[in-house]
Amino acid sequence: MDFITSLFPWITNGPLVLVQVMSGLSVGMFLFLVSVGMSLIFGVTRIVNLAHGSFYMVSAYLMVTLIEVMPEHPVSFWIALLLAPVGVGILGGVIEVTLLRRIYRRDPMMQLILTFGLILVIGTLVLLVWGPDNKSVPRPDALAGSVRIFGQPFPSYYLLVLGLSPLVAVGLWLLFYRTRWGMLVRAATVDREMLGALGVDVSKLYTEVFVFGSWLAGLGGALAAPTVAVALGMDGDVLINAFVVVVIGGLGSFAGSLISALLVGELQSFGILIFPAVSIVLLFAIMAVVLIVRPWGLLGHPEE
Amino acid sequence: MGRRTAVWGIALAAALALPLVLSTFFIVLLIEIAVVALFATAFNLLMGFGGMVSFGHAAYFALGAYAAALLAQKAGWPMLAALAAAPLVAALGAFVFGFFIVRLTHTYFAMLSLAFGQIVYTVIFKWTSLTGGDNGLLNVWPPTFLRSQTAYYYFTLLIIGTSFLGLYAIVNSPFGYALKAIRENPRRARFIGVNVRRHQLYAFVLSGFFSGIAGGVFAFHNGSVFPDFAFFTKSFEPLVVVLLGGVQSFYGPLAGAFGFKLLEWLISKWAPIYWPLFLGAIVIAVVVLLPQGFVGLLERRAWRPRPTIAK
Repeated sequence: MDFITSLFPWITNGPLVLVQVMSGLSVGMFLFLVSVGMSLIFGVTRIVNLAHGSFYMVSAYLMVTLIEVMPEHPVSFWIALLLAPVGVGILGGVIEVTLLRRIYRRDPMMQLILTFGLILVIGTLVLLVWGPDNKSVPRPDALAGSVRIFGQPFPSYYLLVLGLSPLVAVGLWLLFYRTRWGMLVRAATVDREMLGALGVDVSKLYTEVFVFGSWLAGLGGALAAPTVAVALGMDGDVLINAFVVVVIGGLGSFAGSLISALLVGELQSFGILIFPAVSIVLLFAIMAVVLIVRPWGLLGHPEE
Repeated sequence: MGRRTAVWGIALAAALALPLVLSTFFIVLLIEIAVVALFATAFNLLMGFGGMVSFGHAAYFALGAYAAALLAQKAGWPMLAALAAAPLVAALGAFVFGFFIVRLTHTYFAMLSLAFGQIVYTVIFKWTSLTGGDNGLLNVWPPTFLRSQTAYYYFTLLIIGTSFLGLYAIVNSPFGYALKAIRENPRRARFIGVNVRRHQLYAFVLSGFFSGIAGGVFAFHNGSVFPDFAFFTKSFEPLVVVLLGGVQSFYGPLAGAFGFKLLEWLISKWAPIYWPLFLGAIVIAVVVLLPQGFVGLLERRAWRPRPTIAK
């Protein structure tokens, strides 16, 4: 124990560890919102949407603009938080109907390549619309400061994220397991042909799932906007993180995304304390180990 | 056969004569086309002939580039020795990572290759004392006799031309045919006695080897190396080139490299910041409208389809 405390002097500081766990949970929630959408889209349409991080970025930039154009009022932030993800959902719908719909039957690689093309197009359009400079989204007044948890400061805004997260997780669970739409989505992840043969309009379902998945990425981006610098590189960063989450949890698995997002969130939170230099390598190393041992992820299924 | 020899004779004569009539700018462009063409052809050994799409191939390009730069600069090796070591380091990296990657298929193959690629990028980026981190390594120049662009052009032509011959021989060897058989039907390939994974691993290592040559040649041409060489967006460069040129054709990436670099030059000349927009739009258009790429289009329209391995 002496050896451990000499290596990690903070480990005996209970409040610090608790705050670190909580901030890891908040990071994990952002990751969950983004990766569950990516995982859902894959589960139903079999498309690994590389542009998912771009949707997240667009939503953060929409927050910037919405808060700028709206009058200064405590409610403005919440309206922006509602509207930005909806805008991204519409964007996702347009892309699905005009592009992706044409290539569902083709080689999966073509779909990966197409969504990579979307990264470049969306990234440049964001640069043209919002310019190269970093932006920031102010936190709502009520959540601008920090609270003390056993004497350790913790940003109030993260409390909102921590409070929202169980609601979102439960809401998604209810949607997937207690509604007809959720049942159709789950059926589509298992056998799409059968679903079509049973008279379900699969094409419409694909569009709905893509819109919903994009909306989730947008919600992640809008919620994260006040916590980060809204910058052009954020699409790639979040894509890579979401990718790691989805791969560790298993493509197309709702619970897998939740578990692995929280795991990765904690890993990032503590990785910075334990191995500041190699925390990112550690993340990829864990992903590589998971892929080697269970190529389809912790809760995923082997490719057909 | 005679016609093909004539075509290659003319192409070689043109390649040798071009520096006499072109400005330095275009000579530089030609060197870059040659580098991209080799990188993409090495990549296509996996994608076009082996049916494996790597999303982290920039790692092997970067390993070659950094090996050459580090050996020349920090160990004081002569350029040719450093350049010779580049593909070996890249091949070693490809062997270590490929050992794990080839166990997976399709989407998972792409993902694990991306993960290893990002590990290489992160190590290069973070290991500042060795690699200079974000600032890269500067002043990686060839010896005096190769310092002019024309001299380096002929040098590039020699190295990359030889590499092309090597790759051509590999594709048309029994190994190459076994690889195509695996692409068409891994299970049948296994039944006729092909060790599928071992062949895939060899292909991965060879592809890494030739990517490393491209990286090494580019390091001395560029005079510097940067972590971006290993970043995942760089991994899509050979993919786009192959896609533009045509996937299952040996010459596809060569044609694609010309198209890619000329487009890049034309577009970035009048609107540098629009370049990714156009690149993305081209990728999307090719995927949606031209699944076989431009060379594929030519082959389908103008020539009789070649006999392929029975499906």
